[in-house]
Amino acid sequence: MVPSQEAHKLVLSFADDELCVGQNHSWWIAIGPFLEEDLAFTSIAQDELGHARALYSLLSDDIDQLAYGRDHSEYRSAHITEFLCHDWSSALVRHVLHDMAEQVRWSALTNSSWTELGNTAQRALAEENFHLQHGLSLLRRLLSSDEGRKRLEPVVLELAPYGREYFADSDQELMDNGLLTVSMADQERIWVDQVLEVFDEFNITVDMSEETQGSGRSGIRSNDFATLHDEMTAVIQIDPHAQW
Amino acid sequence: MTITQSDLETVRSAVGSVKDPEYPDLTINQLGILENVVIDASSIRVDLVPTILGCPALGIIEEDVKAAARGLGHEVAVRFCRSPVWTPDRISEDAQQILANEYTIAITPRSGRTQCPVCGTTSLEKRSDVGPTACRSVHWCANCRNPIEVVRSREASDQ
Repeated sequence: MVPSQEAHKLVLSFADDELCVGQNHSWWIAIGPFLEEDLAFTSIAQDELGHARALYSLLSDDIDQLAYGRDHSEYRSAHITEFLCHDWSSALVRHVLHDMAEQVRWSALTNSSWTELGNTAQRALAEENFHLQHGLSLLRRLLSSDEGRKRLEPVVLELAPYGREYFADSDQELMDNGLLTVSMADQERIWVDQVLEVFDEFNITVDMSEETQGSGRSGIRSNDFATLHDEMTAVIQIDPHAQW
Repeated sequence: MTITQSDLETVRSAVGSVKDPEYPDLTINQLGILENVVIDASSIRVDLVPTILGCPALGIIEEDVKAAARGLGHEVAVRFCRSPVWTPDRISEDAQQILANEYTIAITPRSGRTQCPVCGTTSLEKRSDVGPTACRSVHWCANCRNPIEVVRSREASDQ
């Protein structure tokens, strides 16, 4: 049983974020920059889709309907997860920003008063260490080269502020009933500090002071969402009763 | 029909013998995927622990478990548990031997360095975070010069 409407919204936001990132990552299958990265990125996509499935299943038995059958305005995904990132540099930066946020978000749920959600968070967190370790080590190696820095720095500056939207859910009620154990404001602060620290190593100063740029939590989709949604629902549109 | 303790035992043994789709020599019991067989609302429920949440084989395992129970005349429900968290040390000793000998797959130990399943040294060097499946990384043994796969632990300390 979902404890409340606010709890439903929180889980749906997280699930939609995971679905969009998983779908976007999967576009790199077979075209990753080198074989090992292709395999790793694909596996991370698989994990994120698995997390989406686990979260949706807390809300409904019909997870396909939740994942694919809603009106665009009913999705709650943060815009940073919807961006198509057709350049490898932006795909990599989004991967790192997303996984840093995931660490913080899952950690805020492991002791949730909603036991099933807490267990899901512990289960997911166990898979996340590898994602972040992988993404950060590659990012650091690339930022250490002139070419890598030239291509990555503008993307970091552009994408990072969008990540603040990960923490744009309302949390008063969730904090009061122990469903969430770290407030959204504190989660955001932890994430921002970690992001600033990572890029500070390379003397890249990210300006996070701007107002949150996305508005995905309130039902407004980014320009890229329609393309993403068409792709992920291509099969179900052809055959709504397909079994796989 | 009343379910007896011996019914549960028979079902447990049958579903425990279901082969894992990725390792056809090993059963879900040996791999630590089978958690429990219990009576739930006057029917039998099988609790399974997924190795990873995004495992694409979950649907196959669920169908195979139901079919194994059906073979004994029992309809069972299958539940994938979020708790406990699956870790490589849930793999039984004998299964770890089969993985080492037949597949050259090593398991990250709780403490200490991972041993090469071919030569027994700890000369493994990581070559790729991910191998043929999401839960295994690929290493190279600098001593016996064999490619080795390692089942990743939850801490990812499979170095």
